[in-house]
Amino acid sequence: MNRRPTIAEQLARQGISRRAFLKFCAATASLMALPPGMAPAIAEALGKIRRPSVIWLSFQECTGCTESLTRSHSPTVESLIFDMISLDYHHTLQAASGEAAEHAREEAMKEPGYLVLVDGSIPIKDGGIYSTIAGISNLQMLKDTVENAAAVVSIGTCAAFGGIPMANPNPTGAAGVQALMDQGLIARKPVINVPGCPPIPAVITGVLAHYLTFGAIPPLDALGRPLNFYGDSIHDRCYRRPFYDQGKFAKTFDDEGARKGWCLFELGCKGPTTHNACATTKWNDGTSFPIESGHGCIGCSEPNFWDAGSFYKALSAPADPLSFAAGAAVAGAAVGVGMSFMNRAKKSSAKAAHETATLKDLEK
Amino acid sequence: MSASLEKGVAVLKEMIDAPIASYFNSCVHCGLCAEACLFYTETGDPKYTPIHKLEPLRRIYEQEYTLLGKLAKMVGLSKPVTDNELEEWKELVYNSCTLCARCSLVCPVGNDIVYMVRKFREGMAVSGHAPEGLIGATTRAIEIGSPMGVKLPAVQAQMKHVHKDVGIEIPMDQEGAEYMVLLSSMEIMNFPEYLGAIAKIMKQAGKTWTLCSTAFEATNSGIQIGSSDLAKVIVNRIVEGAERLKVKTVISPECGHAYTALRWDGANLVGRPFSFKVLHILEVLDEFRAQGLLKTEGFEMDRMTFHDPCQLVRRGGVVQQPRNLMNMVAKDFVEMEDAGKYNWCCGGGGGVSANEDAEELRLQVFKIKKGQLEKTGAKTMVTACANCRIILEEGLEHYQMDIPVVGLTEMIAEHLAESKS
Repeated sequence: MNRRPTIAEQLARQGISRRAFLKFCAATASLMALPPGMAPAIAEALGKIRRPSVIWLSFQECTGCTESLTRSHSPTVESLIFDMISLDYHHTLQAASGEAAEHAREEAMKEPGYLVLVDGSIPIKDGGIYSTIAGISNLQMLKDTVENAAAVVSIGTCAAFGGIPMANPNPTGAAGVQALMDQGLIARKPVINVPGCPPIPAVITGVLAHYLTFGAIPPLDALGRPLNFYGDSIHDRCYRRPFYDQGKFAKTFDDEGARKGWCLFELGCKGPTTHNACATTKWNDGTSFPIESGHGCIGCSEPNFWDAGSFYKALSAPADPLSFAAGAAVAGAAVGVGMSFMNRAKKSSAKAAHETATLKDLEK
Repeated sequence: MSASLEKGVAVLKEMIDAPIASYFNSCVHCGLCAEACLFYTETGDPKYTPIHKLEPLRRIYEQEYTLLGKLAKMVGLSKPVTDNELEEWKELVYNSCTLCARCSLVCPVGNDIVYMVRKFREGMAVSGHAPEGLIGATTRAIEIGSPMGVKLPAVQAQMKHVHKDVGIEIPMDQEGAEYMVLLSSMEIMNFPEYLGAIAKIMKQAGKTWTLCSTAFEATNSGIQIGSSDLAKVIVNRIVEGAERLKVKTVISPECGHAYTALRWDGANLVGRPFSFKVLHILEVLDEFRAQGLLKTEGFEMDRMTFHDPCQLVRRGGVVQQPRNLMNMVAKDFVEMEDAGKYNWCCGGGGGVSANEDAEELRLQVFKIKKGQLEKTGAKTMVTACANCRIILEEGLEHYQMDIPVVGLTEMIAEHLAESKS
């Protein structure tokens, strides 16, 4: 195999100026919530490294994640990043097919330390026969590929948590990558989960850029999601949050509240329990995100989102939140009134006990 | 002598009212009041942060009137206020607060810090932690009738002098006069020109006026030391005198706190509405000006500036009147930075000038006034408060600045048009 060119060389060959490259690095730095001073560091890091080999495995999926990445506007950070990695196998995107395609994968796997990107869940029931590629079951292919990988990036909720294929009744015994490692079915490697149905394209590329720049996986939350994109809940960053705080809720999708853009909590918005960057990074080149279009968040970046009840059922509905609040208010008011009477009594007794001050009272 | 900690705490319990409760609860600890206080800006010592000066009061409020405070006191998390602590706070409450109310003005949540300082002083006074100087002044005010110990014969002597100087007899106890003129001891002893000026101005305006033999003194040490009971005794004299002489208006002299005591606190202290109006002399002069009863001629040519007494501008709202009057007689009238309601205090208000042990600090913080004055390049400083005047004179002398300080009323009187008189 030829020596792989460095990213800088590769970009120069494609006629991408250094200026455009630096712009990309700055955009990436801000995307990853890194200080602006990191842009040159990213540029340096990305410029020097050989394009790392990436093998993209698609299993039980709808290609939505790939669509998310490739259908974004052009030219984008997304297209740039794909000039920086050597995408050696991606059966949806690659021109080769059949034997030639599988050969490319096997070639790439000869040099350990490559990155494995997975989208789609893996069926393990009945020996994994429910999904095969070139006669190889998904489970076998993943097992072979992960063996010498540096890390695995699970793109999309299916790869991360099982997603829709795993939804009840899960006829294929689908599971996410992390779950297979936990069950000892494949080798344990560092996993970065980039869930979402699909994930935001900029988040996918941001995670890859972080890995390429720092050579390490970013800080993750308990579910293996990068904190810089999944650290906040949709609710915490939602522009409708002030209405929630004021108790102003849309009750139906066409009522006065909905028209006024009030909070969609009571219409089943899962924003409060969903961690993702939608409310800040937004979709379609920063155009909007679902809540901005008047629909609640469905919580697609969380495990089991499909089975977590109706998208239109409010997250938590205490039997009667208002009477509870009213009860608390009455109790609080009673305490307050009690205190106030005590204080009044104290003040008036102090007043009654007032001895008119005379000059004698000024000295000890 | 019967001052005690128990008495002090009892009085503070009585003094803590709804405004104080809401002020303590709404303080956001932003520290803006520190930047507004000349004792902080000129020393940089955080203990002079105005709201900090109220710390013992705040603790008593919490311990007596809040649930958490009561619990904290019960389990020993919040210590009770002690005599030693109050003694330590004496300097902060009396020597380094002139009641100038700049802090109250800048407070973003609208806390009237000076209101609280005055209430706190009520407890300090009866717990024996008022400064000696103020106790002396208050004792003289109650026993003799004036904080400087001025008695009626001294006033009568000055009346004679002034009669000789300006050729106008000074009326005393004239029933039915329109105006009753009050004086401050400072004016009787140090600035008798004021009385002469009033005589000339009243004559030109054609108004009847009188002094009162039982109420010539306007100042009120009770307000400064923080004793409403004693302040009431002093205000009562004026109320009785004015009612006896059936005057329409009582004129508060060129003094800051006397105006506060009489105009804003007076009726509340005696517990009933006044049968007369109370005006500051500058308000009267500006009324005369507007009615065409005040005619002047000639101008002062030197550059002049006007020092706003805190109690007149910030607490009293007398802002525009002195400007109107200054422009009648001064060709080159320039304003100091922060003039008007944000003016910096001379450093001696609120009873501070009565405390000898405050003198060093007072001269230190005078630097702010000095700087303000130097920036204007004024040759003469005009003011309308005898106490400010003395403090300004002392400060200027200390910093060896040769700038005379004059009272605005006198300056107006010197320019009265002769033809009209």
